Amino acid sequence: MKIYLDDKEIECDENKTILEIARENGLKIPSLCYQTGLKPEARCRLCLVEVNNRLIPSCATKPSEGMHISTKNEKVLRARRVNAELLMGHHIDKCEIQNEKHDLCTLISDIGIKEVRFDPKKEYQVDLGAAVVRDDNLCINCGRCVQVCADVQATYAIDFASRAHHEHVTPYCEKDLTEVACIKCGQCIAACPVRAISEREHLQDVLKALKDKNKHVIVQTAPSIRASLGEEFGMEPGSLVTGKMVAALRKCGFDKIFDTNLGADITIMEEASELLERVKKGGPFPMITTCCPAWIKFMEHFYHKYIPHMSSCKSPHEMLGTLTKKYYAPKANFKEKDVVVVSIMPCTAKKFESTRPEMDSGVDFVLTTREAARLIKHFKIDFVNLEDEDFDAALGISTGAATIFGATGGVMEAALRTGYELATGKKLGKIEFDQLRGLKGIKEGSIIINGLEVKFVAANGLHNAKEILKNKDKYHFIEIMACPGGCIGGGGQPLPVNEEIKQKRMNALYTDDANLKYRKSHENPIVKHLYDEFLDKPLSEKAHELLHTCYFERGL
Amino acid sequence: MFLLDKLRKAQDKDGFISEREFKRISKETGIPLAKVYGTATFYSMFHTKPQGKYIIEICNSPSCYVNGSLNIIKFIEKELGIKSNQTTKDGKFSLHICSCIGCCDQAPAMLLNKKVHGNLTKTKIKEIFKQCK
Amino acid sequence: MQIIKKTNLKGYKKALELGPGGIIDLLLRKNVTGRGGAGFPTGKKWEMVYQAKADKKYIICNADEGEPGTFKDKFIFLNNPEAVIEGILIAAHTIKTKNAIIYLRGEYEYLKDKIQGVINRVCKKLNSKVKIEIYLGAGAYVCGDETAIMESIENQRGHPRFKPPYPTIEGLYGKPTIINNVETFANVSLALAFDDYDSTLRLYSLSGNVSSPGIYELHYGIKMSDLVKLGKPKNKVKAIFFGCFGGCLPYSELPLTNENVCGQDCMLGANTIIVVDEKQSMVDVTTNIAKFYEFESCGKCTPCREGSMRVLALLQNISLGEATKKDFETLKELTEVIKESSFCGLGQTSMNHIITAIKYFEKEFLDKLK
Repeated sequence: MKIYLDDKEIECDENKTILEIARENGLKIPSLCYQTGLKPEARCRLCLVEVNNRLIPSCATKPSEGMHISTKNEKVLRARRVNAELLMGHHIDKCEIQNEKHDLCTLISDIGIKEVRFDPKKEYQVDLGAAVVRDDNLCINCGRCVQVCADVQATYAIDFASRAHHEHVTPYCEKDLTEVACIKCGQCIAACPVRAISEREHLQDVLKALKDKNKHVIVQTAPSIRASLGEEFGMEPGSLVTGKMVAALRKCGFDKIFDTNLGADITIMEEASELLERVKKGGPFPMITTCCPAWIKFMEHFYHKYIPHMSSCKSPHEMLGTLTKKYYAPKANFKEKDVVVVSIMPCTAKKFESTRPEMDSGVDFVLTTREAARLIKHFKIDFVNLEDEDFDAALGISTGAATIFGATGGVMEAALRTGYELATGKKLGKIEFDQLRGLKGIKEGSIIINGLEVKFVAANGLHNAKEILKNKDKYHFIEIMACPGGCIGGGGQPLPVNEEIKQKRMNALYTDDANLKYRKSHENPIVKHLYDEFLDKPLSEKAHELLHTCYFERGL
Repeated sequence: MFLLDKLRKAQDKDGFISEREFKRISKETGIPLAKVYGTATFYSMFHTKPQGKYIIEICNSPSCYVNGSLNIIKFIEKELGIKSNQTTKDGKFSLHICSCIGCCDQAPAMLLNKKVHGNLTKTKIKEIFKQCK
Repeated sequence: MQIIKKTNLKGYKKALELGPGGIIDLLLRKNVTGRGGAGFPTGKKWEMVYQAKADKKYIICNADEGEPGTFKDKFIFLNNPEAVIEGILIAAHTIKTKNAIIYLRGEYEYLKDKIQGVINRVCKKLNSKVKIEIYLGAGAYVCGDETAIMESIENQRGHPRFKPPYPTIEGLYGKPTIINNVETFANVSLALAFDDYDSTLRLYSLSGNVSSPGIYELHYGIKMSDLVKLGKPKNKVKAIFFGCFGGCLPYSELPLTNENVCGQDCMLGANTIIVVDEKQSMVDVTTNIAKFYEFESCGKCTPCREGSMRVLALLQNISLGEATKKDFETLKELTEVIKESSFCGLGQTSMNHIITAIKYFEKEFLDKLK
């Protein structure tokens, strides 16, 4: 189809929106409320373009043959400027103070607005949660968080309430997020273009611990961090920065740098063994993974009848946290109370997870990837130019199976690598499970283990999880990750994010896996050592006491 | 199934839509809680705080405005000792200033518990309030 | 008055004789037009729904009469409700549906029982299987918008939808829908029942600074002064407002045709005339109307949600004598941007009152600036 963009003739796909076509042709049309892949609402009005003397939203309009579109005439630019001005509100002061570079403030400077004529009017209380914090005063009513919580995460914890300029996003009856069925996945944080939603900060707590000479402060890093942290320092998405990450954290003053990936290897030992137990007993099937605390909370609210299906394994960082306090600390002659464990996670739900009473968590504080970057910047460390360093050996060696935990399908793949070999005694020919890789919402396959066709499926995004749970009985093993893309798309990850960036982060993890010495959890020498010296064997009484947990029915 | 009907019935029963009712309606209809609450609060005739026995909805749109609605409103505020969106301490009256109620030929006008009272004067208001037991 | 003539259901009987094609033809021939404000040819709208291919079709009678100064639909429900029900049944026969909804504004709840009684009676008399349900609104001016009304019926917040798609193709629950005003359905019955149906008659809602406010049935194109005199204004008339949405004009002898009114930057709409006399300040009246929009904005789009609040604040400042020339320029710029960039008709017409008040009565505003 032929159209005219600012008088320039363009050939375009009639099924794309004007916004997509314009961006493909290098034209900068701003937008705040539009989310790729979700239904456009045209609320913010910043993407307006002029067609036939009328301003229309380019995010929601498809072109027609011969259409003449103006993307930057006087009328368009004035509407853009005034609407951006109307949205500023409290961002006038907040953004200068925090030096935030989010979409609205970048837009204001792009447009060249020197003066905002409208004083901030909103007077909302900030909703301070255990994991997710909401500041309605900064909200621009774009609706992206509501859309994501509903259409992507099937959780519906928040919606718009009231009308006119009193319209605001809230859980029911103006409750705080802690009082309702919010799963803390942080996808609302990732969706918000103006950082009105953010993670509960634990940076100050960690800085305090680091300053305390009496504390032995240990940090562990999730698989996803090494594939994403570089972005916070201007590096290309998909840069594998394991060595720099460790070096930077050591410079921050952490006494030991452990690898959550080792925790992941232990999780595989426990979980694969759990699966094989069920195969022997004939059930209960399917078994469902439990490293995702947002999925667990979702299950406890809406699918608690599936509790018998859940693996009882703690998540990797919780396993490592416990092992650090109960195994490493005494061995290294530290009192448990003097050891502080900090987990760096791509996740906001893990902040909540470590406060669960029955978890008896060894983790004291959880920092998101973003917080970790702020910590490193606080110490003015030149991240990009650091020399690579290694994790501390005590609890720092891991495998390729562990590193792919950060990608959707990775936990399943890691579990199958070990589960197959433990059950059959034979080696897997090809250890890469291509059918489990990629950003697709639902990925499935099967493998014959001792004559049984084990059917497995991995879902990411809870709307997709709901879909597969409808047919859950046809599977033996289900992996569910709340965040689209898996942990590399987590609520604590660098922002902004898109499908391309997520794919690059995933690729970094799979490349890491391919190049690591050990690629199967059961081949990790520390794992063998830990069981021999301390845990006895997977699913032993000690393992159950330290590395397993339980779940509850939660109301709505 | 019309959600607004369910919300109205809950309000007719208690005078407002309570948290308990939101939960019940959500469970009954399968509509998520945040959505039921969000829908109810969009409409100005639904209240989420307890109301008085008599709910006054007085119009302040142009036809009533040019016929002196403001004076009537100020009078009512003084008589009852409350402002718009407030309820008297004895729980008898709630006052809400609203948009045109379609009684422009009887301006200024108001709804008192859904019944129309038009051509309002200070005397008429006093009389109407006296009848409210 | 034509509008209160009893048809004794002759219109419906004629409809059965004519069949869908004949009904549509007649409506087109007799120039029956929509009375919600847009004036779209009713026959054309019904034809689009008739021709649409779908497993289900719907009818919505828009009884959410919310434009300030408008009370003609209430008048029809009080004086000739049978004609409305009859019109809905004629529509149902035309597009072969059994599903009709009357969306009645919540403020008219006291009319519900009466209307329900008429529905029961008429449907029984005609042995009709059509289900006409009354859905009560709950206080939202925006739900008079045809797409917002569908959102409300579908249990949502009343935020308007994109157009296209139009309700005739993708309406209620995504199905082809006839949505017409109360007065339109009544006119359909009258047009089918009476050979001498006069399509040039309009219902004028006259109110404001007049001692005989009411519904006046007059021919389209009546002079403003003739209409206003019927209302017997007590004082010298300064201006008329076409509801809140249509803007204002200085009092004159202008024949109220769409052409004339549009030519003066106003909109005739559903013929709502609010008379404002010399004792009123245009600044105060527009401030009052700005409060209406600040309250009734649905909140979806930035210009209307945020802009209506800022416009009200600026006008309040002007009326208090606290505004500067710069504030006045800001006000004017805001009104233009809100008009141009709002999502729906509410926002797009919400500033007409100020734009025209400034155009025709600028001195009153300038006199109040610092």
